[in-house]
Amino acid sequence: MAGSPGRSAIIVASIALSISLFVALYSLDAFQQALGFPGALSTRSYQYWMMVVALTVSTVCVMNTMMIAVYERYREIGTMKCLGALDRHILMLFLSESIIEGFIGGLAGLAFGLSLTSIYIGITSGPGSLLRVPGDRILALSLGSVLLSVALTLGGALYPAYRASRLPPVEALRFEP
Amino acid sequence: MSLDIIIELEDLAKYYTVGGEVIRALDGVNLQVGRGEYLSIVGPSGSGKTTLFNLIGGLDRPTRGRVYIDGVDISRLDAYELAWLRCRKIGYIFQTFNLIPVLTALENVALPTIFAGVPRDEGLRRAEKLLRSVGLGDRLHHRPSELSAGQQQRVAIARAMANDPAIILADEPTGNLDLNTGMEIISLLQGLNRTRGMTLISATHDLKMIKASDRVVYIRDGRIERIERG
Repeated sequence: MAGSPGRSAIIVASIALSISLFVALYSLDAFQQALGFPGALSTRSYQYWMMVVALTVSTVCVMNTMMIAVYERYREIGTMKCLGALDRHILMLFLSESIIEGFIGGLAGLAFGLSLTSIYIGITSGPGSLLRVPGDRILALSLGSVLLSVALTLGGALYPAYRASRLPPVEALRFEP
Repeated sequence: MSLDIIIELEDLAKYYTVGGEVIRALDGVNLQVGRGEYLSIVGPSGSGKTTLFNLIGGLDRPTRGRVYIDGVDISRLDAYELAWLRCRKIGYIFQTFNLIPVLTALENVALPTIFAGVPRDEGLRRAEKLLRSVGLGDRLHHRPSELSAGQQQRVAIARAMANDPAIILADEPTGNLDLNTGMEIISLLQGLNRTRGMTLISATHDLKMIKASDRVVYIRDGRIERIERG
């Protein structure tokens, strides 16, 4: 089951953008160290702050979009409660949607971030240097970024999903957007 | 309480306070509904029909009085037990169909079986059988937007029966349909009432629905005005 495709797209794009910054910085750092340069992150600590701010902003965006999605789906929630859905069914519905969105956003962000790094390294150090991929660090980064993406999306969805699950059925059914 | 009474309302009242003013949506309703009966509830809008449905369906709690379903006072049930009741004992049909737009007809009908904990395959099998029984065997994988209004209401009827409830509550089921489609829906509901012995309570303005029912309850200003044989 899925909600409005537009809302899901906003959530995926928001999380993908911040994850791509995260991936780009970490993979750049890993490449530079593999090539014998001081890593971008080890020399410029403010970049950590940029990353934290980007990830926080995208989580807030997920939460905001999810609140609107819940609002738009009041009648749907009311109908499901009318058909016997328990609070936990509604909670699980919204949380599982957010996990899928977080996973897709994480993969997209990973692909975008790695592409940016590859282009930058290819231009600055020559295409040949791309062959010296720091495999283990990129693999760990790939897994970590998708997990982080799912965790942040899930975190942003918690409160809206809780609100949705607690809606009294009569109020949700009476609602007309 | 005699055995063939499935629903009993005892001095049922629901008051709302809006802007400091108390609105008596229902004010002391007493009614008994027999098992397998087809009851129509008629009244102007704002007369308390929907409030009555919400209270019988366990969606809302009364300010005063009791609702007994199969002898159980449902005002004493907690949220979990009320959800159980809505899931297994009661099927809802709405005027506006209220199908989930992103789900196919088959998935919409199977939805209540998920809430009842029925295994997925069994739920889908049941949904398919029900859709065939309402004449939509060739529309299983269509979404609501690809169906006509009458077909959507058929899907909603199949969905209401998904967990084989004893009671069907239909809130103006023909209100959004043209004359002929409305007639089809009425005969479908009447057939279910006769063949499956489901108790059918329908809020309606539709004269044809009123004629098809066993009893007609006229309600005005939150009270029962009179009860007639259909």
